[in-house]
Amino acid sequence: MNDTKNQSAWSRWTGRISPTVVFLLPAIALYTLFVVTPTFSSAYLSFTSWDGVSDKIHFIGFDNFTEIWNSDRVHNALKNTMILTFALVVLENIAAIALAVLVDQVRWARNLFRSVFYFPVLISGIVMGFVWTIILNYNFGVINRMLELIGLASWKIDWLGNPDFALISIILSTLWKQAGYYMIIYLAGLQGIPQDLTEAASIDGAGKWQQFRRITFPLLAGSMTVSSVLSMISSLKIFDQIAVMTDGGPGFETETLTYIVYKVGFGELRQGFGTAMAMVLFLLILIITVIQVKVLRRREVQL
Amino acid sequence: MSKKRILQAAAPAVALTLILSACGGNNNNGSASPSAGSSSPASSSPAASPSASAPAKEVTFTIGYATGDPATKQAISQTIEAFKQAHPNIKIKDYSETTSASYLDWLKTKDAVGEFPDLVEMRDTKVFADSGKIVELPSELVGLFSNVPEVDGKKYNAPLTLNAPQGIIYSKKAYEKAGVTELPKTYDEFLAIQEKLKTSGITPIVVGGKDIFHMGFWLNKFLIDEVYASDPDWNSKRTAKQVSFTDANVVQAMTDYKELFTNYVDKGWLSTADNQTASILVSGKAAQLFSGPWMFTQIQQADPSFEFGYYALPDREGNVSIVGLPSPAGWSLSADASKDPDKVAAITEFIKFFFAKEQYSKYLQTVNGIPSTAENITYESTEQMKDVLAIMADPNVKKSLMINNWWGDNQIPPQFRNWYYKLMQDLVVKNGDVAEYMKKADEEYDTEVKANAQQ
Repeated sequence: MNDTKNQSAWSRWTGRISPTVVFLLPAIALYTLFVVTPTFSSAYLSFTSWDGVSDKIHFIGFDNFTEIWNSDRVHNALKNTMILTFALVVLENIAAIALAVLVDQVRWARNLFRSVFYFPVLISGIVMGFVWTIILNYNFGVINRMLELIGLASWKIDWLGNPDFALISIILSTLWKQAGYYMIIYLAGLQGIPQDLTEAASIDGAGKWQQFRRITFPLLAGSMTVSSVLSMISSLKIFDQIAVMTDGGPGFETETLTYIVYKVGFGELRQGFGTAMAMVLFLLILIITVIQVKVLRRREVQL
Repeated sequence: MSKKRILQAAAPAVALTLILSACGGNNNNGSASPSAGSSSPASSSPAASPSASAPAKEVTFTIGYATGDPATKQAISQTIEAFKQAHPNIKIKDYSETTSASYLDWLKTKDAVGEFPDLVEMRDTKVFADSGKIVELPSELVGLFSNVPEVDGKKYNAPLTLNAPQGIIYSKKAYEKAGVTELPKTYDEFLAIQEKLKTSGITPIVVGGKDIFHMGFWLNKFLIDEVYASDPDWNSKRTAKQVSFTDANVVQAMTDYKELFTNYVDKGWLSTADNQTASILVSGKAAQLFSGPWMFTQIQQADPSFEFGYYALPDREGNVSIVGLPSPAGWSLSADASKDPDKVAAITEFIKFFFAKEQYSKYLQTVNGIPSTAENITYESTEQMKDVLAIMADPNVKKSLMINNWWGDNQIPPQFRNWYYKLMQDLVVKNGDVAEYMKKADEEYDTEVKANAQQ
């Protein structure tokens, strides 16, 4: 009697659960386990002095955040992150638009050009870092060897060891790697621009530059929103290249926020402090992304 | 048409077969046969006599060690191979990898991903002992060594070698060309030689500054001369805030370092890795290298005809102080591995094998090391190595340690070393004011002492 009652209660309860919820449950469980839980535990760890190794975790209040606020090293990393992000977002988008327009207009071997420019994207950041480290090496690198061969040995530069050039070298090598990715997004955008608009402009006497300036560029706004946001997020998170090419050096010159989080958390055994910086970085990315999306959305044109 | 189709279908199949057979081949060659009784090349190995205490069943343990120095890496991997051949039932999984990170960073990352090696070359013994990651050395192994330094009264390490001194490794040809006929007796004479070398058109010194540990050779040379030679307890006094990095002796040490690096070091030092220094030396791009005897093999391999000498670098008064005291570093057993008696037996067997006379002498010859064993080990040494051994045996030469190798009360916060070396890179590249930079060092040291006290 009781069993029947229980069964009907169970079936009534399950009947009320939508199949959608049932299908979502495994994903929610995994997401909670691997994303939500670590996020909340990180928030807690950022208020501790945990070294990342021992079992003892001590709560130290806002000490980590006070240190972040006062630390010259963190300020330098923040400055580098901002320079890298701004330079990469601008340069990657300019290079990607230029490549997309060129590749779109090329009459022969179009697929070859697309593949060639996209190829660096497929290389991992670590491999790319090693390749460029060899190219830029002071004593054995191709660039300095070429300078020597053409009699300009005095122009040789320690590209990754000189603080004036280390960050620039990282920016240019990352540009080389990433521009192809955004080129594909812009190429897709170019395919969506109706031919009749450019034809009409052409009949009206508009030159190539005017057509690009007045038609193509405004209609690429959607692609630009996507590219800019993606490029900004990946630039704020830049890590592999720094780790391999400079290890944040010379000195602390090329440290970025993500790299300092790793260095402090793992290398310097201050996981609590590193986590606090990760929280700051998270907030920073969130704020910048929201602002960027709002600004860029205004530019978009609905066809 | 059908032929083409057959070919198209057959090609991937053939490729797959080749790949699979290659994998099979590797398995056969790479891993030890599970059957201890099967015939193996073990009998041909000179040190191949599995002891009776070796576990008979199949055991696997993992190993991790620093790979920054190619000679040491080569010597350890050769010993591992010899051990695997001699003990077919023991498998060793080598976690070591070449990275651009410092060894502490690498080990900490391995720990974070749950791959802390069962047998690990330990350099920051106190950090990992305090966190319970490593255990004391099995008592039967302690007796193998002449001296095992203690951390908080416990012995954790099987020292790979005794600490060897860094000195100037110089090109005889470059010295001759620059008119240098006599080795320097004081630091000022050494500087005069640098000027002569520079005038002769060669870069005086190559430095592998991309590797943080190589930076340490030079920085500690000056710190030992000015600080540790006269005050071995300076670190504990610094922790107690009785002395400061801004004191005249430390400022003098770092001023000497800055002047040397600004005037006489290869311009590309910050992007030169330690393992590139031998090539730069033998190719005649630089005349000298400041490093230890482990570089001799690399230099000889890079150019067997290259003529070079070695000497310890004196201070301004002509005193010679070198790195040479024992410090708590070497093979350590992980706490996880210590819970498995079979692993402990296998690792104990490996350590005995590693330090057995015949095997250890080969290791020492490759790395030009100074034996740490109680048993007297001899090996055929080169002319340069004889100079190193003579310096080590000289009672007038003071023995000291690098800033991070002191232990007990003199242990510095483990994270300080890398930070300080980087700060010193910054000092040179930004042409900074030494006293100002030393203030930063004081602040960071105190912050780290405070952070560690909160653990």
